[in-house]
Amino acid sequence: MANLTSEQANKLSDDFFYLATAIVDFRYENWDRLTLEENLELSELQGSILRCGEDILAFSTTLVMDEVAESLAKISSITVEIKDTIRTLTSVQKALDTAAGILILGVAIMQRDPGAIGNSIKDLFATWKGPVA
Amino acid sequence: MKKKSFIVIWLMVPFCIFSCVNLKSVSNFSATSTASISNFENLDYTFSDHCKDRCEDEAVRKFELSRALECSCDLYSKADSVTRVLYQTINGYFVGLGNLAQNELTNYSANAAVNAMTASEFGPLKIDENLVGAYSAISNTLLRATTDFYRKRKIAAYIGEANGPIQVLLDKFQIIILSNLKGELRFKRERLYVYYMDMKMNRTLLSDYEKGKATRDYYQALDDIQLKEKQMDVFAQGLQEIGRGHQALYENRDKLSVKNLALTMLDYSAQVEVLISEFNQLNH
Repeated sequence: MANLTSEQANKLSDDFFYLATAIVDFRYENWDRLTLEENLELSELQGSILRCGEDILAFSTTLVMDEVAESLAKISSITVEIKDTIRTLTSVQKALDTAAGILILGVAIMQRDPGAIGNSIKDLFATWKGPVA
Repeated sequence: MKKKSFIVIWLMVPFCIFSCVNLKSVSNFSATSTASISNFENLDYTFSDHCKDRCEDEAVRKFELSRALECSCDLYSKADSVTRVLYQTINGYFVGLGNLAQNELTNYSANAAVNAMTASEFGPLKIDENLVGAYSAISNTLLRATTDFYRKRKIAAYIGEANGPIQVLLDKFQIIILSNLKGELRFKRERLYVYYMDMKMNRTLLSDYEKGKATRDYYQALDDIQLKEKQMDVFAQGLQEIGRGHQALYENRDKLSVKNLALTMLDYSAQVEVLISEFNQLNH
């Protein structure tokens, strides 16, 4: 089963399904000719075939993982890049706010106002250290 | 001073034109795609659900009673994990693309700087309000022009890189839903048929009422399965349309702001929206 592809597995599951329905139809068409034991045995057999077909479908889904591994990795890395770009763009707002803070600080320095300088530095520090929106 | 402001505003016009990058088509299409892909959560049927249903059906058929139903569903849980990884990866990509394309992202505001310039506490330093307004408009427009151009270039590059792998993932996701998950329901249907047919052939049911009740129950159960199958069909059709829409974006990635593309994308978005609405109707 190591080299089985999901497509082949799906085909196998189809085969199991049609085999099981053939047994079901045979059972009902020959109901009166079958002994109780034969009927039970066929019923069990058809149940097992159905289970097998279902299991193959689930197994086929896990095989998809190997087939898309490369695409998954690629899309995941592109998504990370997109998020990084968004972060870069949102940090422009932070740069603007920081620039505004520097302007206020500059004016305060020009006015030689120690109180305003202290407040401006504090605000500027808070803006710079604050999280990127 | 007013004349100066007027000249400044006139100088701004070309930047305005350049800044009008229309990424709305990408943004709208991504939002519709995300809404459609998210309906995966509303399918309300997983491989593990199927395994548990089977376990219950068999216990009912054999009239087996135990204190707790024990089912071995490891394989089915693995199938669910794979499906979930595909779902999250595809959804994550469209959410990211949508976020990058939305205009709000570059609605930068120079208000902080404007407020700083007009603040009255700056005493003797007075800046003319018209000039401040012009500064604000120019800085916002210039920022938008550069960042929108950057965004457009980035989005075009991402769409170019992502198209191949996203088509593979969308294709496989469709196969899993249509062939595998819906395929499991086909087995469930067959098991149901056998359960009621055995009842009939064994003449287990005696009264007309019991027979009528069993027949009604059978068709009701069949209807429930068919509804799930229909939901899966509609969901998978949505994935197919998303794939086509992304292909159109890929083929036109170098002219993302062209009006024709906006109209084409509107068409794909509308088709996906119809499928979302159809899915929602089935779900109620």
